[in-house]
Amino acid sequence: MEQFFQQLTNGLAVGGIYALIALGYTMVYGVLKLINFAHGDLFTIGAYLGLTLLTSLALTDHVGGFLGVAILAVMVMGLVGIIGILLERIAYRPLRQSPRLSAVVSALGASIFFQNAIMLTYGAKFYVYPQDLLPVMPVNIFGLSIPLMRIIILAASVLMMIALYLFVQKTRIGTAIRAAAIDQGAARLMGIDVNFVIMIVFFIGPALGGAAGLMVGVYYGQINFTMGWIYGLKAFTAAILGGIGNIPGAMLGGLLLGVVEALGAAYISIAWKDAIAFFVLILILIIRPTGLLGERVAEKI
Amino acid sequence: MNKIAGWIAIFCLLFAPALFAADPVKIGLMGPMTGSWASEGQEMKQVLDLLADEYNQQGGVLGRKIQILTQDDGGDPRTASLAANRLVSQKIVAVVGTYGSSITEATQNIYDEAGVVQVANGSTAIRLSEKGLKNFFRTCPRDDEQGKVATATIQKLGGKKVAILHDNTSYAKGLAEESRANLKAANVEVVFFDALTPGERDYNAILTKLKAAGPDFVFFTGYYPEAGLLLRQKKEMGWDVPFMGGDAVNNPTLVETAGAAAAEGFYFLSPPLPKDLDTPEAKSFVEAFTKKHGHAPKSIYPVLAGDGFRVLVEAIKATDSVEAEKISAYLKSSLKDFPGLTGTLAFDDKGDRVGEVYRVYKVDGEGQFILEP
Repeated sequence: MEQFFQQLTNGLAVGGIYALIALGYTMVYGVLKLINFAHGDLFTIGAYLGLTLLTSLALTDHVGGFLGVAILAVMVMGLVGIIGILLERIAYRPLRQSPRLSAVVSALGASIFFQNAIMLTYGAKFYVYPQDLLPVMPVNIFGLSIPLMRIIILAASVLMMIALYLFVQKTRIGTAIRAAAIDQGAARLMGIDVNFVIMIVFFIGPALGGAAGLMVGVYYGQINFTMGWIYGLKAFTAAILGGIGNIPGAMLGGLLLGVVEALGAAYISIAWKDAIAFFVLILILIIRPTGLLGERVAEKI
Repeated sequence: MNKIAGWIAIFCLLFAPALFAADPVKIGLMGPMTGSWASEGQEMKQVLDLLADEYNQQGGVLGRKIQILTQDDGGDPRTASLAANRLVSQKIVAVVGTYGSSITEATQNIYDEAGVVQVANGSTAIRLSEKGLKNFFRTCPRDDEQGKVATATIQKLGGKKVAILHDNTSYAKGLAEESRANLKAANVEVVFFDALTPGERDYNAILTKLKAAGPDFVFFTGYYPEAGLLLRQKKEMGWDVPFMGGDAVNNPTLVETAGAAAAEGFYFLSPPLPKDLDTPEAKSFVEAFTKKHGHAPKSIYPVLAGDGFRVLVEAIKATDSVEAEKISAYLKSSLKDFPGLTGTLAFDDKGDRVGEVYRVYKVDGEGQFILEP
């Protein structure tokens, strides 16, 4: 039983990161009906920018570990958000009126561009974050020893997701985002600046992805230019699992995918854990084609 | 007239070696001078040039100078087969190289058909010496050799309940299966055998499961990025179990990722690093190399190429001949305990090196790789 709960926390930690990245996929899809394939690479950029800022500013030396990482997170989120806005302006907006397949191809191109740009800027080798940025301290909860960092990651993910949910549900801009997601034309007729809404979406989604990249860097230490591929794929799966276009669905899907992976590895086979996770995905989609919380039937791209 | 002159020219070309007895003994070097393994190939050339100079200063072999003819295989099978054809047409006696197994494989038949002795220096794939080619040798160990050394090392370090983890690449899986079979034959219990997915960041689920299996020794046969993460996350779990890796973890990134504290005490198998070669031949060689190039050889494989060259010269000397058949027969049956740069050398009937090449390394508190006695 102890092993079960230990694996549950392992799965939640991984799932929290999947969920954070999945939010970016789901928001963009909700408004534009576009799968932003470059999102995994924005996540990688977050990890690299975090490392560059960390080593060049030495923030953690001046203001301490926790505050330093928090300031760093804000900076990384801002920068990756701006890159997201630029990405939309350059690669997606000119194709807004084109068939949807063109935008998908453009997204794939952007992904390849980012991945190679990172490789050419930083080199193909593995980079490693400085050790012990935050104290490695196991916390005892109900007899389980859980590393403090993992609790911070999960808490930060959940907090950001709740903040996003409240932002979308309770604020004026959030209402505009929801309106644009339902019908862009009608939203425009109601006086909503749809381009501004899309810009906001392309700021928030990549910013959350960048934050996830920073978390992976700080916690796991090792980053390289291809890391966005696996995380992007898993997060995309999580978004589908929860119902793409649905914010609580992305959270649920991410956490669920992480837990299924961990329990599948624990009780069936480690080598088969991805196969198990995707088998569960297929099962859920057969029973609920729109995902767990999805309402509208997703159109095929 | 022209016709007669032409015949004379052809005659001269055909019998040129016989007419000019003082012709140099040509030994080919096929190595990756360009491509992703270029550092290996360039160092191979430096090693062979240095050794050939030394022999030539002592009067060469059979009263003739030794000439090294170098061709670039580019780390690519197609480039390599062109390189092999070029070397063969230059009438080499024997060839040293090359590094990658698939590259060597592309050239084995070309050399064999031309009657040229080939001594590979970095190609560890088992199948290369299972084809029954008479003139193929290698100075590096075979992949299955590592499984044997791993078993012996695990027993020596006191492993009774062993966990084996691989990453499903053909190399890592092969080593893991070989080791499992050997451990079972040695009556050591294997309590865990599974594969992780390379390229991920979080291996906590795997480590939790590993720990629950209750091993007293863990052998990971995969590569350094995952090994570093495993060590780091194992330390974070507060799990203290001896961990060992295969020769694919030999990279400083391992220590960077894990952190020196988590990497301390990690064992791994590897052919000796050039800095740890201890025979008198190796010491004087490393000294001469350092004098010429300003640093010791960076990788062991060029030194293994040097050993390939030295056994070839020894065989030519001993048989007083440059015929492939005689050289091969000598290497297989008569060469025993030859003092090589990387330890004593001898070959079995398949042309594989006899004797243990692998050493056990341990990471110390500063993250340095220290040779275990």
